Amino acid sequence: MGLNLRPLAIAFLKKRELVRQHIDSFNDFVENRLQSIVDEVGIIETDVDYHIKLGKIRVGYPEVIEADGSRKKLYPMEARMRNLSYFAPIYLEMTPIREGIEGETDPNVPIGMLPVMLKSKVCNLYGLSDEELMRVGEDPLDPGGYFIVNGSERVLVTIEDLAPNKIILERPERYSKITEVAKVFSKRGGFRALVTVERDREGLLYVTFPSLPGNIPLVILMRALGIETDQDIVNAIALTQDQEILNEILVNIETFMDIRTKEQAMEYLGKKVAAGQLKEYRLKRAEQIIDKYLLPHLGTEKEDRIRKAKYLGRMALRVIELALGKRDVDDKDHYANKRLRLAGDLMEDLFRVAFYSLVRDIKYQVERSVVRGREPTVRNVVRSDILTERIRHALATGNWVGGRTGVSQLLDRTTYMSVVSHLRRVVSPLSRSQPHFEARDLHPTQWGRICPNETPEGPNCGLVKNLALACKFSTGTSEEEVEKLLIELGVRPIGRL
Amino acid sequence: MRVFQRTIAGIKFGILSPEQIREMSVAKIVTPDTYDEDGYPIEGGLMDPKLGVVDPGLRCKTCGARAGECPGHFGRIELARPVIHVGYAKHIARILKIICRECSRIKLPQEKIDEFRKRIKNARKIGKDEEVIIDELYNQAKQVKVCPHCGAEQGEIKFEKPTTYLENGRKLTPSDVRERLEKITDEDAEALGFDVEVARPEYMVLTVLPVPPVTVRPSIILESGERSEDDLTHKLVDIIRINQRLQENIEAGAPQIIIEDLWELLQYHVTTYFNNEVAGIPPARHRSGRPLKTLAQRLKGKEGRFRGNLSGKRVNFSARTVISPDPNISINEVGVPIEVARELTVPVRVTPYNIDYLRKLVKNGAHKYPGANYVERPDGSKIRLDKAKSVEKALKELDVGYIVHRHLQDGDIVLFNRQPSLHRMSIMAHEVRVMPGKTFRLNLCVCPPYNADFDGDEMNLHAIQGEEARAEARMLMRVQDQILSPRFGGPIIGGIHDHISGAYLFTKKETKFRREEALQLLYIAKMYDEIKKLLKEKSEDGYYTGKQIFSLILPEDLNLRYKAKVCKKCETCLEEDCPYDAFVVIKNGKLIKGVMDEKSFGAFAGELLDRIVKDYGTDKAREFLDKITRLVIAFISKRGFTTGIDDEDLPEEAKQRINEILTKAEEEVQNVIEMYEQGLLEPLPGRTLEETLEMRIMQILSEARDKSGQIANEYLEKIEERGKLNGARIMAISGARGSLLNLTQMAACVGQQSVRGERIKRGYSGRTLPHFKKGDIGAKAKGFVKSSYKSGLSPTEFFFHAMGGREGLVDTAVRTSQSGYMQRRLINALQDLKVEYDNTVRDARYVIVAFKHGEDGADPARTDWGKTVNVKKVIEKVISKRG
Repeated sequence: MGLNLRPLAIAFLKKRELVRQHIDSFNDFVENRLQSIVDEVGIIETDVDYHIKLGKIRVGYPEVIEADGSRKKLYPMEARMRNLSYFAPIYLEMTPIREGIEGETDPNVPIGMLPVMLKSKVCNLYGLSDEELMRVGEDPLDPGGYFIVNGSERVLVTIEDLAPNKIILERPERYSKITEVAKVFSKRGGFRALVTVERDREGLLYVTFPSLPGNIPLVILMRALGIETDQDIVNAIALTQDQEILNEILVNIETFMDIRTKEQAMEYLGKKVAAGQLKEYRLKRAEQIIDKYLLPHLGTEKEDRIRKAKYLGRMALRVIELALGKRDVDDKDHYANKRLRLAGDLMEDLFRVAFYSLVRDIKYQVERSVVRGREPTVRNVVRSDILTERIRHALATGNWVGGRTGVSQLLDRTTYMSVVSHLRRVVSPLSRSQPHFEARDLHPTQWGRICPNETPEGPNCGLVKNLALACKFSTGTSEEEVEKLLIELGVRPIGRL
Repeated sequence: MRVFQRTIAGIKFGILSPEQIREMSVAKIVTPDTYDEDGYPIEGGLMDPKLGVVDPGLRCKTCGARAGECPGHFGRIELARPVIHVGYAKHIARILKIICRECSRIKLPQEKIDEFRKRIKNARKIGKDEEVIIDELYNQAKQVKVCPHCGAEQGEIKFEKPTTYLENGRKLTPSDVRERLEKITDEDAEALGFDVEVARPEYMVLTVLPVPPVTVRPSIILESGERSEDDLTHKLVDIIRINQRLQENIEAGAPQIIIEDLWELLQYHVTTYFNNEVAGIPPARHRSGRPLKTLAQRLKGKEGRFRGNLSGKRVNFSARTVISPDPNISINEVGVPIEVARELTVPVRVTPYNIDYLRKLVKNGAHKYPGANYVERPDGSKIRLDKAKSVEKALKELDVGYIVHRHLQDGDIVLFNRQPSLHRMSIMAHEVRVMPGKTFRLNLCVCPPYNADFDGDEMNLHAIQGEEARAEARMLMRVQDQILSPRFGGPIIGGIHDHISGAYLFTKKETKFRREEALQLLYIAKMYDEIKKLLKEKSEDGYYTGKQIFSLILPEDLNLRYKAKVCKKCETCLEEDCPYDAFVVIKNGKLIKGVMDEKSFGAFAGELLDRIVKDYGTDKAREFLDKITRLVIAFISKRGFTTGIDDEDLPEEAKQRINEILTKAEEEVQNVIEMYEQGLLEPLPGRTLEETLEMRIMQILSEARDKSGQIANEYLEKIEERGKLNGARIMAISGARGSLLNLTQMAACVGQQSVRGERIKRGYSGRTLPHFKKGDIGAKAKGFVKSSYKSGLSPTEFFFHAMGGREGLVDTAVRTSQSGYMQRRLINALQDLKVEYDNTVRDARYVIVAFKHGEDGADPARTDWGKTVNVKKVIEKVISKRG
């Protein structure tokens, strides 16, 4: 009791503002992820001889385009008062390619407007002193971290999701049959693929992944991925002398003895995914599917197949261990198994979809003008409204891509505290109509991260949460760095093909 | 006026035949257009004026009635090709599977068919479910491969949802299906459960589609003057359009594929016209992307016709506002704001005896309080009394036989209701007491049956409009007649909170009043007769005891003995000589011994109140409750009553003892854990070793908490004996509010926190929180809160407490939604059951469900806490009368 911690708390909160997470996340989106979305596309290829190479993307500062076409720097208060949107123009570097020859690069093609988070780096309020803030009509104590769309303040509520790219063990009860399953939400870019390894009552292991009808025996998939010999399969699953585990693996290998080579396995897979097609097509399709839809987070190239096989082996081992009682199911509510998706992540999802539809439209416009015999220019084929309106509509209504609703909400301005609380809200995507007792519980791992007290009463109880005061976000580290460090520490990489 | 009386003998459902549809149709609809350029409905269109009128001023072309009077008339669409009715699709599939593909006979020998027919006939006669018999027939006939009648080989019929039938993989067109159904003989149809008088199997395949009258699908005119059609109209337009195209193509001899495609499309439109939520096909959408609301959607669900408009009609003559308490009105009364009284009316027929009185009310008009809002002429037309002119007119006209809708006045009977209406005491009849203010006022004793409190609750009030209803409400539904709950045969209306603690303090041995004080109390409580009675009693050197005053309310010949709530449950009860004054003795209407508390007149528990209602009737009981609440509230207001944090103050010694106990318990837990780790723990029967350990630990800790609670209580009692009032403890022991457990948690130890009945077990691997060592399963690490609320919780304790608290919150949230649904299902299952005069319980069909209600024929409200006869009480009554 003797220790007065108050000054410490005050100092702590002064150093890290209450909505830092959102602003940091949005800054990261603007500075890095925007560019990587553009890079995903790279070149807009059309069916005519006019392609467009995409280069650097750049975000300007919020401005308003008046009725007479003049542009003016926009401050948030004016946006609020005049029911404007606090959006900044986005410029993209575009280079036309004709007959394989690059034309003149236009470094500043306006492709649309981006909603700007208040107090982010591209916000006109960035770095202003209290006096300056007051001069432009802002409350110096306003935390920022929200958007202004058509004059209304919109918050992107943090969403709590099950961690992607992480193996989670489950024991689901289907029709009173209990099986063991290892699940992983493999995520690459905007694509999420659920891959499972399931052990049935007879001890046989099967794999499911998107675009594969039904399932495929693990052993066969391993062979298709290039681990052909029985010994290699055993090693890929477990380097152990444990007889129990080895027996489990052997049962699998023996059951699927008919298919022994990679070619046979590919043929088997091909018959599953493209039944009734030509043989060449079947094989092509099979290859395509294992590269694109199986564990995409490990890569989508041919070289990544061995790694995928090893990863599947790891999943299989866990399933076996679970079945043998050497391991327990994973606690889905453990906060280590959760990831919070902040404003930047949500904007990324939205921007990706909007940008792709813009790309599609550009392709269409290019083709159309060529067909009509007009010479396309990069400026003419970009209809910037496509991107802007797609984003504006989502932000204004809360209907996000992927059919999620209520992602953006009107900022609760009842009191200052309600504002801060709203900006620090975390919602779980679980349905409120089902009991979900476990998910609503206060989990010990929420200590220090989620407030134990602040949750609504009623149907949303325990599903809507608020961040604890001292909660800090980590934003992830690049994989290369981690890999490098691990190798320096003596970890041996899995050989690529 | 002549009254026609008809008794409905029964209702029969059938399927409309094409002939019936044509017969009831007044117009054949052929064009998909609705209005011409001038905005007039097109003949032969969906808005054909023959189908009825919706626009005011126009007259119906069929019946000549004006809008509002004309119910509308059906039209029809002649379908170019037959179409399956989705509602019967499953039924058709079943029939196709059991009839012969050639001769359409049921694929069973004649004798069998006859037998089934007979059985169905019999089942129908005695009201038994015929569905079971049909199922049996179905199961027997579906396997037959060769027709026993014509010897034709049978194909395999497959039903593909929603409206496709395949025979040996080949599609059957609706025409094929209809053909087969047509060939079914009447006798066979009967064996399939059809009543051929009203429904032939082929009626399930539509050839003519009835078009509902425009009154069913009125178009709305938007502000912009645009017409916006109803969803049904939109759907019908689609049907007509496709039907037309199909017809044209057939006539033009188009290729089979095109015809089939159009036919399919027609089937789709007709299907979605009936039900737009059929599994397997995309719902038809409006231009805006909103799915259309077609026939089935109008009926289904919470806002559908049945649940929304028939079971849940909205009413007039009702009021709703916030409620607030008023201990000075009777339990039978309800305080009604003047504003409400002016709006709600009671119809009173003018007679020679009341005409002068009613004239006064009419003269006051609608705005001055005891007035009237309407005067109704014998022909039913009304004059609204909101203007001086109309008042004048009404006064001039007013005569015997008129009806005056006068304002609600004191003494009127109204119904009062609080949702959720879970039992019959959720709607009770109250007498009106018009008062200033904007809230409904109610006596606190009626809070328990309504489950009301005053944290913003609102209630509804309904003014009764008919004499019969009024009489019924007064005789059956009045609050005083609901004191005894049929749920448990005891009073559900009774004292709560301050009534109980007040009465406890009032009737304690030490409570004495000087004469002036006593009289003042009685005066405040408006017990004027009792004042006289008291003055006749002798006082003890100028003092009246609380018991003496309390006795004034009791009936004079009441004799009663029971253990009060404050009873300490000693091993041998000393009865009258109870040192704690916890044994109540009432002799000839005098409270001799014991204190009044929850057991005497509390809701759910009051023995004394229970006896008064049962032996002296509800009038006396109401009077008793009214008086006791006024008296006790007057007393406790004067005396003062409070609770605060110092009510939980414990001396240092007590704290030490509690700490010792808890520390010892923690050690004991460690010992048990050690025993478990060394394998010395013996598992309990039927439990694993781990479960046994958990149970032992829980037991040790809960014992420790109880013990510390006892110690705390001991010391609190000691402090109280020294003369310091301890509100918290008084409330707990008298049963007014809170329990000893609450006291324990505040003063001594909060105890084990649990999630789903177990100690906290989830968290990081091997431990709940990182504050503990891995593998620690001791008391602290698993959520035992050693601190008390008053001393404050440690951070980990606080977190565990939040975990336990969260479970409670989630539970209440989940439970409320579930209980609503459960209630609905119960009501639907039990709604028709009724106890007849012969004591049998019967359902709507008069079938006996129970031969004797409750197997003893007893009305639970009149039983003694569920027991039909309480022998002990009877004996006591007889003895006390003698002695």
